[in-house]
Amino acid sequence: MSSKLKKVSDGINASMFEFAQFDERQAQRAGYSNYSYWRSTTQVFSKNKIANFFFYLVIILLTFTLIQPYLPNQKSPTEITIDPTTGMQLRNHEPNAEFWFGTNSIGQDLWARIWSGTRTSLLIGLLVGIWEAIIGIIIGALWGYVRSLDRIITEIYNVMDNIPHTIILVLLTYIMRPSIPTLIFAMCITGWLEMARFVRNQIIIIRDREYNLASRCLGTPTMRIINRNLLPYLVSVIMLRIALSIPGAIGSEVFLTYIGLGLPINIPSLGNLINEGRGVMMVESLRYQLIFPAIVLSLITISFYVIGNAFADAADPRNHV
Amino acid sequence: MRMMPEEGYFGANYEKLDYEQKEAILTSMGLRDPIHIQLKNFYSQLLKGDLGKSIIYRPRVDISRIIKTKIPYSLKFGLTALVISLALGIPLGIIMALNKDRIPDKLGTAYIVFISAVPAAVYYLFLQLYVTNLLKLPILFSPDKPSSWVLPAISMSLSGIASYAMWMRRYMVDELNKDYVKLARAKGLKNSRIMISHVLRNAFVPMIQYLPSAILYTIAGSIYIESLYSIPGMGGLLVDVIQRQDNTLVQALVLIYSSIGIFGLFIGDILMAILDPRIKLQRGGTR
Amino acid sequence: MDGKTILSVDDLVIKFRLRGRILTAIRGASLEFYEGESLAIVGESGSGKTVLTKSFMGLLDKNGWVDSGQIIYKGKNIAGYKSEKEWLTIRGKEIAMVFQEPMTSLNPLKSIGKQVKEAVVLHQGLKGEAAKKAAIEILDDVGITDSERRYNQYPHEFSGGMRQRVVIAIAVACRPQILICDEPTTALDVTIQAQILQLLKELKKKYHLTTIYITHDLGVVANVADRIAVMYAGDIVEVGTAEEVFYNGQHPYTWALLSSLPQLGIKGEPLYSIKGTPPNLFNNIKGDAFASRNQKALKIDFEKRPPYFDVSPTHKARTWLLDPRAPKVEPPESIKILRQQWGVSP
Repeated sequence: MSSKLKKVSDGINASMFEFAQFDERQAQRAGYSNYSYWRSTTQVFSKNKIANFFFYLVIILLTFTLIQPYLPNQKSPTEITIDPTTGMQLRNHEPNAEFWFGTNSIGQDLWARIWSGTRTSLLIGLLVGIWEAIIGIIIGALWGYVRSLDRIITEIYNVMDNIPHTIILVLLTYIMRPSIPTLIFAMCITGWLEMARFVRNQIIIIRDREYNLASRCLGTPTMRIINRNLLPYLVSVIMLRIALSIPGAIGSEVFLTYIGLGLPINIPSLGNLINEGRGVMMVESLRYQLIFPAIVLSLITISFYVIGNAFADAADPRNHV
Repeated sequence: MRMMPEEGYFGANYEKLDYEQKEAILTSMGLRDPIHIQLKNFYSQLLKGDLGKSIIYRPRVDISRIIKTKIPYSLKFGLTALVISLALGIPLGIIMALNKDRIPDKLGTAYIVFISAVPAAVYYLFLQLYVTNLLKLPILFSPDKPSSWVLPAISMSLSGIASYAMWMRRYMVDELNKDYVKLARAKGLKNSRIMISHVLRNAFVPMIQYLPSAILYTIAGSIYIESLYSIPGMGGLLVDVIQRQDNTLVQALVLIYSSIGIFGLFIGDILMAILDPRIKLQRGGTR
Repeated sequence: MDGKTILSVDDLVIKFRLRGRILTAIRGASLEFYEGESLAIVGESGSGKTVLTKSFMGLLDKNGWVDSGQIIYKGKNIAGYKSEKEWLTIRGKEIAMVFQEPMTSLNPLKSIGKQVKEAVVLHQGLKGEAAKKAAIEILDDVGITDSERRYNQYPHEFSGGMRQRVVIAIAVACRPQILICDEPTTALDVTIQAQILQLLKELKKKYHLTTIYITHDLGVVANVADRIAVMYAGDIVEVGTAEEVFYNGQHPYTWALLSSLPQLGIKGEPLYSIKGTPPNLFNNIKGDAFASRNQKALKIDFEKRPPYFDVSPTHKARTWLLDPRAPKVEPPESIKILRQQWGVSP
């Protein structure tokens, strides 16, 4: 009687005390987690609202920069506009309906110049980033893999690392005369160091770490090891470096222009524009010539910096879900 | 670790002289000698303190004399800026670490991002432009007006503040995650005591390595600031010299800057070794 | 061991917020600690052993909290403590902890002597020279020879075993009532392990401590424990005296643990291992958490969580197998062999 009561109050009936089927797969599933590196990376990145904002900003800016020349009514960045009525150059006009950003001191359209300059700077940054990556990976791989080269390259690395980048930049530009290729070359020379070091460390880790030793013992082909362990990190590091090389390139270029080693004036670049703006900044009405390039420059540099860092954080497995 | 001066660009520059004259001058300067002799001469002169003579900037004047007049200005500004950077940057970094992910941290990060991403030239310009109007400070530097020191020094310190804050925050956050902090808490120590006596002390150690370089770099002068505010210092010298293509001076300055860099890092390493009982200087120390 | 309860955990639930999701690390655990005893909490990694004991000292990570339940220490419910001030009355003074990793538990930039002295100054009310002397004495106690000279040395000048002794010294210097040892020997070599365990036993006697051992090593347990609590997936599934749990374990997980002892392995044959992995604690667990890995699970194991059933006044287990309505289940062969080896009735 009492046991019946107990059953009723428990809501349990006797049939529940029969044996259940043992399912081994269920046993495993209880702890299963499906993790994909890239999915987690994108997840973490998209959660970062600020990074997302800048990301979209960059997309917009980039698209615009590229299509700007093809929009209607755009002027050439180097053409000096002559006013048909007076026959004189349209110098230093403030922003108006025709010239959205105004003109500079020799009558060129600032709007067109700024976007052209942006294109130049972005190009430089991109090329630098890619070249850095290529050189860095090659050297880094050799450094890590071929033991005989280890010592030599380490010495070279140490020497180059200790010399301030600015000096090398200045020196090379001075010797080689400023131009776009020179700039790219000079920045690559200093930039490959970090990438190479990173790749080298990764390779050494892959070579020597215990779990990879175990993996090799089990017969995992080296390609698989590289794919699984090296590539994901590599790709994310490359993207980070490219993203950060753009503000870096712009910064170096501004710096060199300042010293007088910048790009020639016929190639508009953000550095040149800032310099030109600097020349007239004391006159309040002409100040726009400084402000507009500065704003565009700041937006670009900040955006890439933020995105680059946010991506690096997202790619770090320690931050993964 | 030696710096090999680039001899390659010599002789590419003097437009005004014709070929024979150029050759004559270059030979007299010893530039046509084989490279190893040039190097030998260069270093023996260096050891005597003779950096050569300027060619265009101040013709036939000893470079070392030129430099001596410029250094004090750069030094003064640089050191002031350094002090400001440390005094503001380190506390900022600490505050950011203690308030990780809250408002102070976010604001600090925004500041650091801005300073790191935007080229210094840009915000220096704007600072000069607008702040001088706002606070009625003089635009150009003159030794007799103390208020003209303010803006340049503060401008110079801005990026230092960002760097030190960033490093300090990073080191502190690293330390805060370590096991010994957990033990200290388990011991029953007060949080404030743990912070000061353990975390801060440990976080400072890696910071020290930056100090010697920073101090030495003040000699180099900030190129932007000095030209913006017309400060007769080393940075301005470099700019002038490059524009006028005075090769010997460029060479000398490059040499100086590089040596400063190397030397500073070297001292930094030594300091670290002194402060951190785990590090012992090894012979032929590679990193 | 006079049976007086010094600390009791009552239906404790601890949760963590991890990247937007909630993980229930402790799912309603209840356990009593008697004054002067030595109790071992056994379980695999992730079972929640460390989280449980950390909650006694308020050392949960920032993203963790006590969701419900009580921790009663000396009549007060300390589970509700929130402020640093409150916890400072417990940490060190009442409850002290020895951590698992001697290599990183000490501040590498401070001499070990100073770190011990810190505890002395804080908890023994001594200062300056007197404190230093007391610290040196403790270093002696824990078996560090030449303690006066070694007082000024840094952690990296000590071996793993010695560092662990220092950590123990610090814990003991706090003069606690309860000493929690979280896997104190896991990171050390086998030869040192025995020494450290012996040291802990001696210190327990000398300072009248109640010790709680956290371990997954049954060998350690056999060495030091008066009572054993078996933990799985954030719950205490069986608790009893050492003999009772070893010789008369009732929960299938206990059987599985014991079966994993390498000494049961027959040369040339695969070692026994429990099939499957522990459950994902982000999800709500229905029924008995061990059910999916239990070859002899009952249907009800998947439906309802078992309550505690008493095997003896000192031994209880949370398994439906002990319910009178359950079929009689024999422990697996491996257990029978073990019991035979131990000379106990199977």
